[in-house]
Amino acid sequence: MINAALYRRELKKSWKTLLIFSLISTLYVVIIISMYDSAMQDTLDNFIHLMPGLMEAVGLRAGTKGLLGYMSSYLYGFILIVFPMVFSMMTANRLIARYVEQGSMASLVAAPVKRSKIALTQMFTLLTGIIFLVVYITLLELVVAESNFPGELDRGKLLIMNGGLLALHLFIGALAFFFSCLFSDTKYSIAFGSGIPAVMFIIKMLANVGGVAKNFKYATFFSLYAPDDLILQSSSAWWGILALALGSVILFIAAVGIFSRKDLHI
Amino acid sequence: MAVIEIENLTRDYGRGRGVFDLSFEVQAGEAFGFLGPNGACKTTTIRHLMGFIKPKQGRVTINGFDCWNDRVKIQSAVGYIPGEIAFFHDMTGAEYLRFLAKYRGTGNAKQAELTERFELDDSSPIKKMSKGTKQKLGIVAAFMHNPNILILDEPSSGLDPLMQSRFIEWIDEEKKHGKTVLMSSHMFEEVERTCHRIGIIRKGRLVALDLASSLQEKHARTYTVTLEDEASAARFAADFDGQQNGLQVTVRPKQSLERIFLDYYEEVPRD
Repeated sequence: MINAALYRRELKKSWKTLLIFSLISTLYVVIIISMYDSAMQDTLDNFIHLMPGLMEAVGLRAGTKGLLGYMSSYLYGFILIVFPMVFSMMTANRLIARYVEQGSMASLVAAPVKRSKIALTQMFTLLTGIIFLVVYITLLELVVAESNFPGELDRGKLLIMNGGLLALHLFIGALAFFFSCLFSDTKYSIAFGSGIPAVMFIIKMLANVGGVAKNFKYATFFSLYAPDDLILQSSSAWWGILALALGSVILFIAAVGIFSRKDLHI
Repeated sequence: MAVIEIENLTRDYGRGRGVFDLSFEVQAGEAFGFLGPNGACKTTTIRHLMGFIKPKQGRVTINGFDCWNDRVKIQSAVGYIPGEIAFFHDMTGAEYLRFLAKYRGTGNAKQAELTERFELDDSSPIKKMSKGTKQKLGIVAAFMHNPNILILDEPSSGLDPLMQSRFIEWIDEEKKHGKTVLMSSHMFEEVERTCHRIGIIRKGRLVALDLASSLQEKHARTYTVTLEDEASAARFAADFDGQQNGLQVTVRPKQSLERIFLDYYEEVPRD
């Protein structure tokens, strides 16, 4: 199903980026979790009441309960969305569109290897990276939370929350990969593959502020991932995750199909 | 038996650019020269053969397989040198060749021989290689799995004269092994020395298709010179690449095919 030699090469090319993104995430996860205490949360809540617009824009909401609620507010609104998202954008663009633009795709297609196999291999590289990041973040959260606040974290709910996070990132990855396969020019693959998620994220930040802007939440796929509602196990949150997962499957299939049938002027 | 067949291939890019109703075949064991200036759409034709682009009209086959639908079946028998060489810049030459052998799964039986023959230094990173070195790497990459069909898009560009003639020698040997060769070029000498048949393409249309020798006969002038003695006749023949017959030596101007080529271009009025 995938070409082992190509997969190995791409993993080798990815690991440095993965390392950097893991380190940045580690920094934030460790600092933010270790900052948790009930009294401290009151202070942060005060900030939120003082500057509601700014804090809510980056996804900080007052009053969510417990360590998990605290993490959902302070990690899942911005940090754990933005970093893996940037990783996906960079990687997806590199895996197909850049090779086509540079012409090095010629060495890959001028070989007895099916185009669909090439695209699937590149897709697996992206999936490996995304899954690695989310699994790493999950393990890190468990370790940091347990060592700082033994017994305080509801592990089952954390796994659900991160399962949702994975679905969100797979969708972002699928979107970026789709445009990487569609366009032969990185100019366009970046404009669409990174531009759409970036704009949607800004819309999400605006919608977080509330007021009239709250309606913007219907214009962004980020609303499909609602970590607070996932903790509460609301059915709408589950449907959102399902939609993200389904969307990513459709986008990945379409991407591989398009790449297998497109003209390559290389 | 025709190995490569192009039938009525058309691909219109607008403003007179593209390939129009192009048809020719290359027989098994034949070397075919595909001659034309830059922008004549030689590369477009070759991209169709490689299954990179789908014919809008017409049919392109290799070994009877459709070049678009059955491209994977064809590729293991094909060695390809792209017109514009672009490899993975982050690898060294040796890493790239090792990767390619594993990726293709077709081995690298001839890698050592080719590396030595073309004096390729494969230890430096590809991004630091000169154009000539990259071209040598392209040659090794195209031939190391010993393919039977060679599709070469301006294969000797960037090579110095010594390497160019080494390349031509290599192609001659490959022909002796029964390989089928399609070579595009805008260099007349290269095609003249290697190819049995020549097609001349102009603005995507075939304007001439004939044996290299009959193109020569039709268009090139020859001169027969009589010399004083046989020794000087032999020297004259050696110096001017002529045919000696006793005191007489027949010579042909060196750029003869270039003239043929220009004939075809000049007899068509500019539009």
